[in-house]
Amino acid sequence: MEALIYASGGVVIVTILAVVYYLTHESKYAYERKFDYGYRVALQPVSGQYEKDLSLDPYATLVTANKEGLDGLDEKEETVPMPTLEELSGGATFGTGTPLSGDLAKVDPSKLYRDDWRAQKPANVGQRFLVFGFATPEYKSDKMAIAWAPDASFNSELAPFDLHLRLVRAPSSVTVQPIDIDLKRQPEGRMELPSYVATSDEARTEGYVFALEATPTSSTAAAVSGGIFRSEWDPTGSYPKFGFVPLLMGTFLITLLAILFASPFAIATAVYLSESAPSRVREWVKPVIELLASVPTVVLGYFGLMLVAPFLQNTLAKAVGMDSGRALLTTSLIMAVLLIPTITSVAEDALRAVPQSMRDGGEALGLTLKERLRKIVLPAAKGGLTAAILLGMARAIGETMIVWILGGGAPLLPTFHGVKDTVGNLMKPVTAAPDTVAREMGNVDFQGVHYGHLFLLGLTLFVLTLVINIVGYRLGRRNAWQS
Amino acid sequence: MAIVGKFGLSEADLRKRDQARQQGSTLYRGWLLGATAIALGIIVLILGTILVRGIPALSWQFLSQPPTDGMTGGGIWPQIRGSLVLMGGTFAVVLPVGVLGGVYLAEYAGNGRWVRLVRGAVTSLAGTPAIIYGLFGFAVFVISMKLGISVLAGWLTLATFALPVIVLNTENAIKLVPESLTEAAYALGLSRCQTLYRVVLPHALPGIVTGVVLSSGRAAGEATPILLTAGIYYRSGAAPTGMEMLRKGTENLPYHLAEGYRQGGKIPEKTIWGTCLVLMLLVLVINFAAILIRARARQKQIA
Repeated sequence: MEALIYASGGVVIVTILAVVYYLTHESKYAYERKFDYGYRVALQPVSGQYEKDLSLDPYATLVTANKEGLDGLDEKEETVPMPTLEELSGGATFGTGTPLSGDLAKVDPSKLYRDDWRAQKPANVGQRFLVFGFATPEYKSDKMAIAWAPDASFNSELAPFDLHLRLVRAPSSVTVQPIDIDLKRQPEGRMELPSYVATSDEARTEGYVFALEATPTSSTAAAVSGGIFRSEWDPTGSYPKFGFVPLLMGTFLITLLAILFASPFAIATAVYLSESAPSRVREWVKPVIELLASVPTVVLGYFGLMLVAPFLQNTLAKAVGMDSGRALLTTSLIMAVLLIPTITSVAEDALRAVPQSMRDGGEALGLTLKERLRKIVLPAAKGGLTAAILLGMARAIGETMIVWILGGGAPLLPTFHGVKDTVGNLMKPVTAAPDTVAREMGNVDFQGVHYGHLFLLGLTLFVLTLVINIVGYRLGRRNAWQS
Repeated sequence: MAIVGKFGLSEADLRKRDQARQQGSTLYRGWLLGATAIALGIIVLILGTILVRGIPALSWQFLSQPPTDGMTGGGIWPQIRGSLVLMGGTFAVVLPVGVLGGVYLAEYAGNGRWVRLVRGAVTSLAGTPAIIYGLFGFAVFVISMKLGISVLAGWLTLATFALPVIVLNTENAIKLVPESLTEAAYALGLSRCQTLYRVVLPHALPGIVTGVVLSSGRAAGEATPILLTAGIYYRSGAAPTGMEMLRKGTENLPYHLAEGYRQGGKIPEKTIWGTCLVLMLLVLVINFAAILIRARARQKQIA
């Protein structure tokens, strides 16, 4: 039997280690992230008609190393050959891109496929994408320009490499300065070039050759770690962003407001129950409050959704503007309700741990209840009361279902332009870390980058609540009158 | 009189000040009472609303029939059954490990540096968010152990979730056993083991059982750990029986509410209130059971 007891102790210890181990272990998949990039490069006429928005220019080349590919592209188009001059007749200054390694001199235009980027190659650093630039004979008298712009949501700041747009080879007929554009410094732009006109199909590759090159600047691990401090969470976009800031900000705001709403009532209730209430009242009130602690949080969430949210929306919509009842305010109010029993219970224990002799001493000095409390009991129980609030915080930080149901699911970064704007934050939807993990975990690629980041987020939450719990636990044990 | 003169205060001043002090104290008491009343009012309002709105949905059919018409009609029997199955299994898994683990920490582990670390870790795990256990259960039980989304994975996840609370609770209950009792037992020549079985455990039993029942109840109401490990929303075909049941996921009340929300609120409001009430009652009944067990055991001890 003793062996069983030891075994159980072992199981408990193993469980603790396993929780920590698996959270860390699964987080490593976040570090298998490959950073993708996407750039549009176009050769355009200078004086004629041209499209300023490169994403609308049909002749712009999207040089991208995005393994997910892009939405709305037909895979069959993968092997569209580089258009011949005949096909291009009627206009167009033209550039076409291809991920090409090997000897430039041996390039055969008939074997070049337009937009080979659709092969969805991962963005290996050092890979070189070439863009061939020429003008069709119709543009003989015009000058040409090269224009470049990042693809939709691509931001080179995130990437652990520098991107350069370089002129690899100029046509023999013109003289130009070397071109080397640092795309981090100059993300988009346009530059005029002396014209090169391709007079035959073979000449299409004998003109300008630009290369988009990535050179490493830091390790992927550093980039992943740096990425989580950023302020955008968009895990499913073409260029995923895994900034934890909006999620942790949501957690912080909800927790702060819930504590502000709940603690005056909870602490006052604890003080009343421990110091002033007749024992009969306490015997009734305490179980009722603890009853609330056992109500499942999903039920509290639905209560908020079906009654509090419509109520707030109807009363506040006209006054300050509220799009939906699901907002920061609603979430924090219901969260506050959840915290009342937690805080009350711990605070009451802390107050009752203050020795009766200290109260009696105060009473003997003729102090009133208020003076006894403010001068003796509350200072003595300060550690325990702080612990109560900290444990309440840990509870709010980890709560999932209330935020899931009432938050509205959109990240909130508060703005503070004047009073109205500041108050307006309360009416905006919010999302926090735990509900994001719960919501997104169901539809991620198993052991993918997104999966890893959700575990990393879970690990962050774990460490956060761990620290708060440890501090709270220590404060709760140390009493002012003993030190 | 001398003091009064020294501070330039007359006796009337003093009386006035005293009155103000008393008034302040009365106000303070009133404020405390008011805050308590508000807190209590909110709680009664919430519990009352769920009761009042949920009762009209309750009927024998609601409790005994499966959902129909794409979850919009019928009852919630599979969900209730699933919740009971999850809770029962969790209870069975966590009871021996949690209680014996608590006994280990209280009686066998001593107070070395490592043990203090373990104790601190257990305390911290007790306050760790439920979603962390969901992630853990998903990675370990569902994936690594290849249990899939299943009742078995749900049991193990919920057991992990409930374990720290039960261990701590057991340890505390054992530490509350008066030392005089154990010393008397040793003095009578009982071995450590005998002392544990004959004296310590019987005395601590009510506290231990209450803790186990309460945390199983909490686990039964928590939707988060089973989101990724055991919950299914809609089952086509008949529910499996026997061992097959353990290898498959199960409908259950908290998951029904959570997933019903995610799927865009097709469940009629009345049904939701009814489901909320049933879930709340389930947890409350467990809590009352715990209180009853504790009271019974106390009486027995006194007798």
